[in-house]
Amino acid sequence: MISELDRKLWRDLARLKGQALAVALVMGCGLAMMIMARSLIYSLESTRAEYYQVNRFAEVFAHLKRAPDSIALRAAEIPGVATVQAGISVQVTLDIPALDEPASGMVRSLPDFGEPQLNRLYLRAGQWLPPGSRGQVLVGEAFAKANELKPGDRIALLLNGRRQEFRLAGIVLSPEFIFESRPGAALPDNRTYGIFWMPYEELAAAYDLDGAFNYLALTLAPGATARPVIAELDRLLTPYGGRGAYGRADHPSHIRVSDEIRVLQTLAIGFPLVFLSVAAFMTNAVLSRLLVLQREQIAILKAFGFTNRQIALHYLKFAFVMVAMGTVLGWIGGIVMGHRIVALYHLFFRFPELHFRLDRSALVLALLVCAGAAAAGVIGAVRRAARLPPAEAMRPEPPANYRPALVEKTGIAHLLSHTFRIAVRNLERRPVQAIFTVSGMALATGILIVPNAFRDGVAEVMDFQWDVIQRQDVGIGLVEPASVSVRHLFAQLPGVVTVEPIRYTAARIHFGNRNRQLAIQGLTADGQLSRVLDANTRQIALPPAGLVLSAKLAEVLEVRVGDELRVEVLEGKRPVRAVPLVGLAEDFAGVAAYMDIRALNRLMEEGDVITGATFAVDGARRGEFFRALKGVPRVSWVAIKDSLRANFRETTAASIGVIQSIYLVFATVVAFGVVYNNARISLAERARELATLRVVGFSRREVGAVLVTELVILALLAVPLGLLLGTGFATVILGQVNTETVRLPLVLTLGNYSFAVLVVTAASSLSALLVLRKLNQLDLVGALKAPE
Amino acid sequence: MFSGDTIPVRTATPPVYSVRGLTKVYGFGETEVHALAGVDLDLHEGELIVLLGPSGSGKTTLLNNLGGLDVPTAGELRYRDTDLACADEDQLTRFRRDSVGFIFQFYNLIPSLTARENVALITEIARDPMPAEDALELVHLGARLDHFPAQLSGGEQQRVAIARAIAKRPEVLLCDEPTGALDVRTGIVVLEAIARANRELGTLTIIITHNAVMAGMADRVIHFSDGRVLHEHRNPQRAPVSGLEW
Ligand SMILES: Nc1ncnc2c1ncn2[C@@H]1O[C@H](COP(=O)(O)OP(=O)(O)OP(=O)(O)O)[C@@H](O)[C@H]1O
Ligand SMILES: [Mg+2]
Repeated sequence: MISELDRKLWRDLARLKGQALAVALVMGCGLAMMIMARSLIYSLESTRAEYYQVNRFAEVFAHLKRAPDSIALRAAEIPGVATVQAGISVQVTLDIPALDEPASGMVRSLPDFGEPQLNRLYLRAGQWLPPGSRGQVLVGEAFAKANELKPGDRIALLLNGRRQEFRLAGIVLSPEFIFESRPGAALPDNRTYGIFWMPYEELAAAYDLDGAFNYLALTLAPGATARPVIAELDRLLTPYGGRGAYGRADHPSHIRVSDEIRVLQTLAIGFPLVFLSVAAFMTNAVLSRLLVLQREQIAILKAFGFTNRQIALHYLKFAFVMVAMGTVLGWIGGIVMGHRIVALYHLFFRFPELHFRLDRSALVLALLVCAGAAAAGVIGAVRRAARLPPAEAMRPEPPANYRPALVEKTGIAHLLSHTFRIAVRNLERRPVQAIFTVSGMALATGILIVPNAFRDGVAEVMDFQWDVIQRQDVGIGLVEPASVSVRHLFAQLPGVVTVEPIRYTAARIHFGNRNRQLAIQGLTADGQLSRVLDANTRQIALPPAGLVLSAKLAEVLEVRVGDELRVEVLEGKRPVRAVPLVGLAEDFAGVAAYMDIRALNRLMEEGDVITGATFAVDGARRGEFFRALKGVPRVSWVAIKDSLRANFRETTAASIGVIQSIYLVFATVVAFGVVYNNARISLAERARELATLRVVGFSRREVGAVLVTELVILALLAVPLGLLLGTGFATVILGQVNTETVRLPLVLTLGNYSFAVLVVTAASSLSALLVLRKLNQLDLVGALKAPE
Repeated sequence: MFSGDTIPVRTATPPVYSVRGLTKVYGFGETEVHALAGVDLDLHEGELIVLLGPSGSGKTTLLNNLGGLDVPTAGELRYRDTDLACADEDQLTRFRRDSVGFIFQFYNLIPSLTARENVALITEIARDPMPAEDALELVHLGARLDHFPAQLSGGEQQRVAIARAIAKRPEVLLCDEPTGALDVRTGIVVLEAIARANRELGTLTIIITHNAVMAGMADRVIHFSDGRVLHEHRNPQRAPVSGLEW
C-alpha cells in the first residue's frame, strides 16, 4: 500500500521530471567518468598483473655486448636475485615480399628445449617451435597483424648481414612487449618493426655467440629491491660491455601502460568531483524551489501531526530518486564508455586478453558519492522545511525583496530597458543560483577546450618533429659501427638527394648525484636533415666540443649551460670524460643528448665511425630507393617518416576522437542541464509575474525576452570564464604531459575556442527553447488568483 | 432578458461593449461548468459599473472575457468594431495593450521593479500614455516613486496597480475585487483613486465586488447569478466614495 505522502512524491516528481532528469544526467556524467576510469584502471592493472605473473615478467633487465654463460650464473648469486634468464637479443633487417619499404626488427632467443624461465610467451595462433627446430620463428602479434601474416607464411631476416628464410610457426605475445615498439623510438610503427623469437642455438650460431649471451633478465627475491641489484649487476656486466641495467620503472613497454593508468587516476577523481558539485547544487536548487512552493503544504502536514523526520525524509526521498536515476545512468554510461576505450587499448596494448573489467566497488562508491552529493545539496533545504513553524508557513511568502542592481548605479541606468532591469535584478537577488549556473556553463565550455588543445598540441609536436627537427625521409641504423666510407655507398643509392651520417653511443650522463642513461647522438655539425633547435627554433650549430641536451633533460639533471657533465660511455672502450654542456635543445619526445659526430668519435677514441644515417629521398624514386636499401647488408633498423606519421595518425587520431566525443557529450549534458534547470526555476518562481506581464499587454515574445535576457547575461559571463577555465584545464592537464617521455606544448587556437562556444551556445539555446515552449502554456487567468 | 427594457439608454452613441448570449463552458461531459450562461449587456463610454453576485456566479469569467484574457465558448462579444469572440492571440494581446487597464485583488505588481518602473513598463508600450509620475500622482503616490513592492503596504501596492492601469489612458478599466485584500480605510482610498480616474479620464470602469455598499458609487449596478445577469439598476446619482461605509 503506497502511502499518500509517497503518492505526492511521485506527482511532484512527474511535474519536475525535466529538472530531475537534468540533475540525474549531470550526476550520471560524473559517475560514468569515475566508473569508467576506475574500471579501466582495474582492468589494466589486474590484467597486467596476471599477465606478468602467469608469464613471469622479469623485474630487472640488462643489455650487454657479450658475456659467457657462466656470468649469468654469477648474476644469479647476487643477493636479492631470484631467477635469471640470459639469452640473445639482436636487431635485424627484414625482407617482406609484400612490403615495398625495408622493415626491421628484433630477434630474441628461446631455450632450445623447454620454456624460458622468465618472460614467457603466450601463443595466439599457430604452434610453438618444435624442440630442436631450425628455420622457424615465432612472431609478435602487432607486426603480424599489421602485415597480415599467418602461421605458415615465410619471411626473410638478414641475420648478421646474411639473408635467411624462415617459416612463421606461430604468432605470440610477450609481457615484455605489451607495447610493441622499437627501443628508443618515440612512436610505434608496427608495419615496419617486428619482434621475433628463435631457438638459442640457431641465433647464437648466426651471431657467433655460442655459449654466451647479450641480454639478461631477472626477478627479485621476495622483499628485495631493484636498486642494489641493478648496481651490483652493472658492476658484474661492465667488463662485458654492459649498457646499464634497468628496472621495470624504465622498461619501455611497462612505462606506457603505467602512464595510461596515471592519466586514468586523475580522471577518476578530478572530473567526477566537478560534475558532482554541479549536480549537488542543482539538486539543492530544485528542492529549494519545491519547498518554497510547498510552504503551505508543509505547514498543513505539520499541523496535522506529521513529524519533522517524516517531512525531512519525504523530501530526501525526492532527492534520492534523482540519485537513483543518476547512478543508473552513470553505471550504464561508465560501462559503455569503458568498453569503447578498452577497444581503443587494443590499438596500443597487446595482452593475451584485455576485457573491460567492471570495478564493482566503483559502482557502490558511485552510489555513495552521488548520494552524498545529493544529501549535501538537499540538507539545507530540508532543514529549512523541517524548521518551518506551521503558523509561519501558512502565510504566503511575502513579496521578494529587490533592490536596484549594481550595474544601475554606474550611471547608465537610464539606458537600460525594463526587461533588462527585471533580468539583472533577479540575477542579483539570487547570486548563488546565478553563480552556479555560470559555473556550470563555464565548466561545459572549459571541458570542451581540453581534448582539442590536446589534439592541436599533438599535431604541433608532430609537425615540429617531422617538418622542422627531423627533415629526413628515412633513417637507418647499422648492426655495428662502420667506417665512414659506407657513407659514400649510401650516397650512391638511387634517389638519394642528401645523406648525413649519425653515430649513436650508449652512455650514462652524470651531474651531481643524478644521472640518465641514453644514446648520445653524434650529428653533422650543421646538418640539414637531423637538426638540433633551440627554444626559438633556431638551429644550433654543434660546436667541435661539448654536449647539447634536451632542455627537459637539463632540467631533470639540474644542470646549466657551462656546467661540466660526466659522460660514462657504455660501449667500446667505455671512456669516462668530463664534457661541458654547451646548449639546450627544444624537443618534445623523449630526452636526448647531441654532439658533433667528430667530437663524439674523438671522445670514443675511435676513428671516423658511423652507426646510422639519415636520407632525403627524391619522392619520385622512393620505390627504387627502398628496393635497393632492402639489399644493403648490416642495416638493423629503418625508420620511414611517412609510415610513422600514418601509423600515428591512425592510432592517436582514433583515440583522441573517442575522447573528444565523450567530452562533447558531457559538455552538452552539463550546458543543457544547467541552463534548463536555471530557466525552469526562473519560470516556476516567476510564473505569476510573467503571466501578469502577458495580461497587461506584453506579447509572448516580449515576455520570453525577459527570461532570455537573463540567460544571455549568464551566458555572457559564463563563456569568457569558461574559455579561461578551459585554458586553465588545458594548461594543467597538458602540463602533466611534461615528462621525460613526452611533452606537449600548449596550443590554443581560435578554432578550439570557437568550437567550445558554439557547442555551449547550441546546447543552451536548445534548453532555452524548451523552456520558452513552457512559457507559452502559461495560465494567464490562474496568475490573477491568490498567490500559490 | 427583460432588464434591458427597464433601463433607459443614457446616450445615443453606440455602446463600447456589446454582449449577446455570451456563454463560457469549462470542461466537458460530467465536469462541464457553465460559468457564463447567456449574458446580454451593453456597456457605454464613461460609465462606472459595479458587478455584484455570489461566489462562483461567473463575474470573474465575464471580466476576463471582456478584457481579452479568455475567449467565450459561444455568443457575441464586440468591443467597438472588434469581434473579441473570434480574435486570435495577437489581436487579444494588442487589445489588452492598447485599450484595457486591469486591477486585480492581489495587485500583481512586478516585484523586481519600483513603483515608477512598474508604471513605466506599461507606458513604454502604450500608444498615448501619461508620464508614469503623473499617473502615480493621480493615486497620491508621488512620494513613493522609487520604492519596490516589498517596501509598500498592500493599499499602496494596489494604488500602484491602479496607476499602472490608468497610465496608458485605457478606454476600459476592469477591476476584480480591487479592495478584497484591504481594510476599509485603505479600500476607500483605492476606490477613490479608481473613481477619480473614471471621472477625469472618462474611462468605462467595471468593478467586481462582494461588498454591496460599494454599489452606491456606481452609475449602474449589475447583479449576477449563475452565469447570468439577474437584474440591474441605475443610481440616480453616484454617492461619493468617502461616504461609503462598511
Ligand atoms: N479554469 C476553470 N476551469 C473550470 N472551471 C472554472 C474555471 N474557472 C472558473 N471556473 C468555474 O466557473 C464558475 C465561475 O467562476 P468565476 O471565477 O467566474 O466566479 P466568480 O463569480 O468570480 O466567483 P468569486 O466571487 O468567488 O470570485 C465557477 O463555478 C468556477 O468553478
Ligand atoms: Mg472572482
